[in-house]
Amino acid sequence: MAADPLSLPPQPVPDAVTAPFWAALAEGRLAMCRCGQCGLWLQPPLERCRRCAGPTRFVDVAGTGTVYSFIVQHRATVPGYLDDLPYVVALVELDEQAGLRLPARIVGVDPAAVHCGLRVRAEFADLPGGEFTVAVFRPVDSR
Amino acid sequence: MSHALAGAAVVGIGRSPFVRSSGRTTLSMAAQAAREALADCGLTAADVDGFTCYSTGDSAGPSQVAHAIGVDDLGWSLSVLGGGNIVTSTVAGAAAAVLSGQAEVVVVYRVLGSQTRYGRALERVEVDGEGQFAGPHGYLVPPQWFAMYCRRHQYEYGSTAADLGAIAVQERDHAVRNPHAVARSPITLDDYLNSRWISEPFRLFDCCYEIDGAVAIVVTSAERAADLPHRPVHLLGAADSNRFGGSVDQWDDLSCMYSRDTAPRLWSRTGLRPADIDVACMYDCFTFTVMATFEDFGFCAKGEVGDYFRAGRATYGGDVVVNPHGGLLSEGYIHGLNHHYEAVLQLRGDAGDRQVSGAETALVTSGAGPFGGALVYGTAAL
Repeated sequence: MAADPLSLPPQPVPDAVTAPFWAALAEGRLAMCRCGQCGLWLQPPLERCRRCAGPTRFVDVAGTGTVYSFIVQHRATVPGYLDDLPYVVALVELDEQAGLRLPARIVGVDPAAVHCGLRVRAEFADLPGGEFTVAVFRPVDSR
Repeated sequence: MSHALAGAAVVGIGRSPFVRSSGRTTLSMAAQAAREALADCGLTAADVDGFTCYSTGDSAGPSQVAHAIGVDDLGWSLSVLGGGNIVTSTVAGAAAAVLSGQAEVVVVYRVLGSQTRYGRALERVEVDGEGQFAGPHGYLVPPQWFAMYCRRHQYEYGSTAADLGAIAVQERDHAVRNPHAVARSPITLDDYLNSRWISEPFRLFDCCYEIDGAVAIVVTSAERAADLPHRPVHLLGAADSNRFGGSVDQWDDLSCMYSRDTAPRLWSRTGLRPADIDVACMYDCFTFTVMATFEDFGFCAKGEVGDYFRAGRATYGGDVVVNPHGGLLSEGYIHGLNHHYEAVLQLRGDAGDRQVSGAETALVTSGAGPFGGALVYGTAAL
C-alpha cells in the first residue's frame, strides 16, 4: 500500500502563517485568517492585514457556504485520488465574506447534481497520509 | 509617454524544432533558437549585450545561453520567474532596456524541456504556499484551475461545449497550414465533443499541446533595425495587470481574466481598438483562455465568442485572424513566446501559406486568470 507513491495525495507543508489553519482542522474546527483590527477575512492568510496592516488571527467560521464554481476531475493528474475518479472539487464561497473562497472536495452527491449556487456545509476528513485533517463539503440538504 | 516603447523593434526570430520528446537539454535548444534568431537578422554573438528569459526555474539561464553561443561579456542579464503571465513584461522589459541604454541588442527566449509538464503533477508529494489549501483535495494543476473559470462562465453567460469546440476546431484548422506545428490533422466538432474528459468542463482538445522546444526573438532600437535585413516589427505598446497576488482561486470574477484590466490600459496606451487589429495571437493554454480574454479585449460581447468563431470572423476573410499558427493548442506550447514569433512572421509578410494578407498590426496576449499582459506590434511605429 504505502509502497505506491501515487496512493497518497500531496501533503500540506504548513508555514509560520498557515500552521494555525491546520492545527484548527486537527481539532475539528474550520478557522480562517482574520484581521483583529478591521475584521477583513484573508485567504490565503497573511501575518498582517493587507488593508490596515493590523495583526491577524485565525477565527472559527460557520462552515457553511455556496459552490461558486466546480470541476469534475476525470483524469488522474494529482496523486492520491486515482481510485476515486471522477471526483468533484469546488471553490466554496464561505458565508463570512463575499469572495472568501476555499477549494475543497464535494462529497455525498452525484457529480451530475452539483451546480453553481449549491449550498454546502463543511465536515472533516482524515487526509490519507496520516498527519492532517481536511475540510470537505457536503450539500446541506443531503445526509 | 504613451508610445514610449515604439522606439524598439523585433528584428530577428529563431526556434528549435517543436517535438513531444526531444531528448535534448534546455541549454542546447535555447542556444539553437538564439543562434537562429541572430542569423535571421544578420547579427552575431559579438553584437549581443543583453539576454533575458522567463521560466519557472526549469531552464538554462540567460548567462549560460549567452555564453553557449559565444557572447563573452553580457552587459544585461535578467532571468524572470513566471510563465504565461510574465511574457509581456519580459519582452517589454527587453525593449525598455534597449530604450534606456542598458543594452543595445537583447535576445529574449523561452525553452521547455521534457522535465516540464504543467498539466499533470503525479509526482507531487508535498505542497506549500497557497497550493497547500488545494493540493490535498486533488486540485493542483492549470487545467483544473481554468476549467473552474470556464464552469463559472457557462453558469453566468450560458457558453457551451460547442463554443469551446469552435475555438479548438478553428485553431487546428489554422495549424494544418503550419509545417512547424505538432498537431496538424484537422478535427471536427464531433472529434472535439468525443475527446475524453480531463477536468470537466475541459476535454482533451481544450488543453494546449505540451512539447519540447525553444523560441528566441531579438529586440533592438528602431534606429538600428532600419539597417537590418528584415522589415522591422515595432513594439507599439504593452500593458500588464496583476491582482490577488496571482491567486487563481481568489480572483473576483472567474468569468473573466486579467484582460478585463489589461485591455483598457493597452488600448489607452496605444490609441488602438480591436477593429484595428489584423492578427490576434491569443494566449491559449486552454480554449477557455481564448474565450475569456477575447471578450475582455473587446472583440465581442460576453457569451458571443462561439458565434463569432462559427461565423468565420476569427479566421481568414473575417474580422481578425486568431492564432494563424494554431496557437498553443495545436502548434505547441512554448509558453506563449511562439505567439511573438508568429506575430513577427505575419507582420513581415513571411508567413507563406498562412499569411494574413495586408497584416499591419498584431495583438499578442499572455497569461490567464488573475495576471497577464498584452502588447501590440505594428509594421510602422505609431
